[in-house]
Amino acid sequence: MTEWIHPGVVIFLGAFLIPWIKWRTVRLAYLLLLPLIGLTLLLLMSSGYFGQIPAWPGALHKWQIPFLDYSLELGRIDKMTMVFAYIYLIAAFCMNLYALGVKNKWEHVAAMIYLGSSLGAIFAGDLFTLFWLEIMSWAPVFLIWFRGTRKAMGAAIRYVLWHHFSGACILAGVVIHLYHTGSIELTRLPWGWGGEHLGYNLMLLGFIINSATTPFHSWLSDTYSEATPSGSIYMTAFTTKTAIYCLIRTFPGVELLMWLGAIQAVFALFLAVLENDGRRLCSYHIISQIGYMVAGVGIGTEMAINGAISHALCHIIYNALLYMGAGCVLVVAGTAKFHELGGLYKYMPISFWLYMVGGFSISGFPLFNGFISKVMTIEAAELIHNAPIYLLLEGATVGTFLHTGLKLPWNMWLQGKDEPPPNIRAKLKDSALNTPVHMLIGMSILAFLCIFMGVYPKILYDRLPYPVEFIPFTTTRVFSIMQMFIFTFLGFWFLRKLVTGYPTYTLDTDWPFRMAGRKLIWFCEEPLMGFARVMDRKVMEVVNLIVWISKNPAAAFEIKKKEMLLAGQRRLAKSGSIDLCRQSLEEEKRKYPGELPGLTLGASIILILFSFLLYLALYLFAIP
Amino acid sequence: MMSFLRQYPKRFFWVSFFIGLVVSLILDVLWLRSDILHYHFPFQYVPQFFAIFGLLGCMLLILIAKGMGYFISKDEDYYEKDSRRQV
Repeated sequence: MTEWIHPGVVIFLGAFLIPWIKWRTVRLAYLLLLPLIGLTLLLLMSSGYFGQIPAWPGALHKWQIPFLDYSLELGRIDKMTMVFAYIYLIAAFCMNLYALGVKNKWEHVAAMIYLGSSLGAIFAGDLFTLFWLEIMSWAPVFLIWFRGTRKAMGAAIRYVLWHHFSGACILAGVVIHLYHTGSIELTRLPWGWGGEHLGYNLMLLGFIINSATTPFHSWLSDTYSEATPSGSIYMTAFTTKTAIYCLIRTFPGVELLMWLGAIQAVFALFLAVLENDGRRLCSYHIISQIGYMVAGVGIGTEMAINGAISHALCHIIYNALLYMGAGCVLVVAGTAKFHELGGLYKYMPISFWLYMVGGFSISGFPLFNGFISKVMTIEAAELIHNAPIYLLLEGATVGTFLHTGLKLPWNMWLQGKDEPPPNIRAKLKDSALNTPVHMLIGMSILAFLCIFMGVYPKILYDRLPYPVEFIPFTTTRVFSIMQMFIFTFLGFWFLRKLVTGYPTYTLDTDWPFRMAGRKLIWFCEEPLMGFARVMDRKVMEVVNLIVWISKNPAAAFEIKKKEMLLAGQRRLAKSGSIDLCRQSLEEEKRKYPGELPGLTLGASIILILFSFLLYLALYLFAIP
Repeated sequence: MMSFLRQYPKRFFWVSFFIGLVVSLILDVLWLRSDILHYHFPFQYVPQFFAIFGLLGCMLLILIAKGMGYFISKDEDYYEKDSRRQV
């Protein structure tokens, strides 16, 4: 019996086979098969084929590889990794279904490498193996690049800059931690302000950049909205959730995170109001929802950690669904900008309703999966009696419903119009089925999961690390949230004219960085290059002069002497023979280098001896 | 009812919406007097707290964001224009 098979490694290596499969049908079947192989391995793990998984926080340790003085652990299997891996693979299967229509096979390769490396990071048992994260920072770059637009090119570079920066921070933190403790175990780390915690602060910084926590959230909305329609869906799921996973492992209960998360949950919504691009709006909702998870990690009680995990997992599912809905419109209508859309309902009703399932889920409607996870985090905030955190998180629920449940569907599919604008209408068939069927199937599975988990939360709760004694459907909670939503709708209806899309771009917290970068490039291109050009010219002049003199030093000195004399004469303006002098000088310059003076053997030897003498003098006196 | 829904989907929506609205207001009054609702903070027991919170929260969110937009909403090609590299 094999000790264990790493699903991440299987998918990671399997990804490289995709481009070699010649027949398209077989290739696509293989693409669907990859996550299924992963799921099969997970089922074997759950059934105890590779050994019984102990109760939390115990873990199975597999694939331990000696490396230098340390032992790397590629497979740490406990309840938390299992539940993350399950959702990753189920979501990836639906995403692959959605992406079947993609012509570029390298996009599939990039996506599967991304999935494989995410699983690698999830199963990592030590801080070195965790650097699967680094693969996760470049694999999605291709998903952005394959969009092929100029904006996408820039966005991908910004993506990789952010993530390599965060990777460098984490690495620095790991090295400092290793230096002080000698341990590379991926476990709960101490945290505090001050110099002795520098390493941990660096690691925390790295993780909160990866998880798009305010004020480092801007890379997410900037890049996800520029990726290919199906590529962006993979991106919504893995990077930020893996970062949340790392935060749960390393920094649970850090109060700073609680505040950052709660502020982020609301702050992103303000920016979402101004957003005109459907996918950017969804991106701000990812940021806002991550706020719940980060706040949950920060609260750090058992219920909050359970809430953060379950919310991360539910979020993967409903957010992929939301992005798929917006992606459908992008694929079918060619744009996801609100001011160019509206009235699409008649032509793509199924994707509208599937999107709405995601919209209800993210808002936290009872019987949808957002509700069962979100209320857990909110309840955890209530139980620690922290009113500001509670109000921020509850307020974010209002804003989420406002945007994803109302603003986005209203602006994309409805806007009170029966027909879309003529240029969009020209791209649509006359049927109600404009969206490719494989996309709808992918969305349907996710929509089913949203409702299934919402109706039967036990399926998720039983797999969470800490035991759950939490009943989401109480009269209080269902009633309060429904009343809140009814009145949110009323507020939206009053102000619906204000939330229509305008073709604008909303500045975000990356403005100082991008402006500083721009100024740096300007400084390099203008003053610095100007200085370099001047320096270059001057140095070349000197070099040319030396070359010129060395051709015939005797004649050259003669010419230079005459030039100086001429200059002196001109200044004194005594004689009328200047013209004569100038003419003879011109003549000499033209003839230059002329005939070289021949040296006799004796003169040569004297010169050589003289240079030796100089060298001797140098050796004796100049070098101490 | 199904035929009504099919014939007048908008009217059906609005009728059910306002029924829901009124019912929620009444239930809040009734249930707050009884012992059905269990909240954690005293301010949640304010009558119609969640109605006010939803309505005001939503409207404030939109209005404040629109005010912010005065400063941070720029042209779509804000980062592209006057950059020679276009990246």
